[in-house]
Amino acid sequence: MAYVATRGGERAIEQSERLFRAELGQIDAARVAEVKQALPYLVDRVMGEASLYDEDLAALALAQTGGELYEAVLVLRAWRTTQPRLTVAAPIEQDDLFTHRRISAAFKDIPGGQVLGPTLDYSHRVLATDVLTGTPYDPPAVEPAADPAPAHQPSVSAWQAANDLVDLPKPDAATGEAIPDLTREPLLFPSKRAHTLQSLARAETGGVLALGYAAMRGYGQAHPTVNELRLAEAEIVVKHPNGTEFSAGRVKVSQAEVVSKKGERLGLGFAATLGWNEVKCISAATLDLNSKGAPKGSPTEEEFFLYHTEGVEASGFCIHFKLPHYVTFQSSLDAMRDAKATRAAEQEPAE
Amino acid sequence: MTLASLTKPWAPMSYGFLDASAKRELRRKMVKAVCVPGCQMPYASREVPMARGWGTGGLQVSLTLINPQTCVKVIDQGADDSVNAASIRRFLSRVSGAPVTLDTLQADLIQSRHRIPEEILREDQVLVLQVPNPEPLRSVQPNMSIARQMHGDADYGRMWLQLYEQIVRSGRVMQGASYPSMVNGRHVMTPSPIPRWDVPKLHMAKHLTILSAGREKRIFAVPPYCRVEPLVFDDVPYRVEDHAGLTCSRSGAKGFFMNEVPQDDGTSAFELSDSEYGVKSIRRAEGDPVDLGDTWYTNGELTK
Repeated sequence: MAYVATRGGERAIEQSERLFRAELGQIDAARVAEVKQALPYLVDRVMGEASLYDEDLAALALAQTGGELYEAVLVLRAWRTTQPRLTVAAPIEQDDLFTHRRISAAFKDIPGGQVLGPTLDYSHRVLATDVLTGTPYDPPAVEPAADPAPAHQPSVSAWQAANDLVDLPKPDAATGEAIPDLTREPLLFPSKRAHTLQSLARAETGGVLALGYAAMRGYGQAHPTVNELRLAEAEIVVKHPNGTEFSAGRVKVSQAEVVSKKGERLGLGFAATLGWNEVKCISAATLDLNSKGAPKGSPTEEEFFLYHTEGVEASGFCIHFKLPHYVTFQSSLDAMRDAKATRAAEQEPAE
Repeated sequence: MTLASLTKPWAPMSYGFLDASAKRELRRKMVKAVCVPGCQMPYASREVPMARGWGTGGLQVSLTLINPQTCVKVIDQGADDSVNAASIRRFLSRVSGAPVTLDTLQADLIQSRHRIPEEILREDQVLVLQVPNPEPLRSVQPNMSIARQMHGDADYGRMWLQLYEQIVRSGRVMQGASYPSMVNGRHVMTPSPIPRWDVPKLHMAKHLTILSAGREKRIFAVPPYCRVEPLVFDDVPYRVEDHAGLTCSRSGAKGFFMNEVPQDDGTSAFELSDSEYGVKSIRRAEGDPVDLGDTWYTNGELTK
């Protein structure tokens, strides 16, 4: 019964999971609330990559996985995919966004104005070590502007289109259930525009940055100018079965438009995601900008960057190499040994 | 009649984890896959509570096929007690209430990573193979959209060339597992990284095999009694691993695919890769009344 004695699989995996969870200790509603309050940008990132806007669930996913980001996104996505699609919200136009921050690098000033909003861009990155020695950090109060910026603003590309500098994409007439949904259909190439944008929206931030940065450094044809970067809140308008349209609440969104000179016109790249994530939007928009006509197999080709920035798939495949592979390995060894033995036999001098 | 009487009570999780729309898509894609043997059908591939690359494709198929009466067996590299096989088995049983087994003969549904059991599968059994990379052309064409076109054109020239180059360079075909095979005379498929030993088991098999790649979102199938022919040249016959003469150091069984276990003295011992077949062989040797099914190989030679 030697075989049976070695069967520790079930117990081993149970205990190893316990070991991990024991380190994290009790997870209660208070901890989830603390994560949500203390780490809004991390929560945003997880919501974006999971394509599920729910701060409580995202904070729970983070708490439950101890901040193992790939795991957090996976548990959230696995939960999301089992939920019914009750309805499709009304399309959101850029002008409708309740804008907190909106900047353009293309012009000194833009219609609607440059609105800095909340940012660390001009902060000095000094670690507040005093906090650790007992001096809490209290952020100084914000002084509201005498003349607040307008909450709703047009896009910069709309002005450029009016001045015949850029061709805006044709409006997509698809509505409701006819809108392709990447989470319910496979991604095929050349990909549908909706799939491309959805795929970038849920892409892994680090992955998009790596490939986007490669394009920015010169492994792409187009150098991006940030036409507009926007952090906003979007009203989710849905229709009650009785016909009434109502707001189901607001979600935080971020989006970036980047442009570059393409002959006598501007090429346009765009990306948007749930939550506030500037690095991801600029990188993703840069990839979008570079994808047209990119050579097959280059990092700026759509198939290349959409496949390889899919964080759940990439991280899962990466960690799968921990699984035993001894059957495939044995199969390769067999061919190697045989080829080697045959060669050795051939090289022996004839008797 | 009330609305409540028409609907099921709310539950935090659907039966078998996947919701009805996901299962419907999978059923449709499985039917398509059976209709065009060996042809990769794209599917949405939902996230499941397991990491990609850990059998999520096979899991989605199993979750769709399972019912409370389905007897399930899960193996990884031939072993039922491998940690990931244990994890998948536990999950399948937890969300479906299905009974589990280690015995190939008892199983209705077998989810496997990289092995086909040594006992011959019957018409009433379904084998679900986990697939890391569904594209046999990947090594000659990493771009999936081009590879898809090549399948459409049955353009397998580069595949043959690759095998030919191996023979020229190394004197033999060097492909280890995942041996590219022509299915029903039309589509080249990867049989998943099963050893070459297992590929002939798929040819004209009585059972249905469904191969599913969750991460890559492709599903394909070998229906019962379908041709599966490894790509070989007329003058270079197909060769399985040279395991026919090996004896299992634990059970004494001979002529099956083995795991090589390095020993302290620099030599190797071998043990049956199909762990439950090994257990049954030991039990029979000890006088237990156990059923050993007919096997695809007898004394290391293909019997069927």
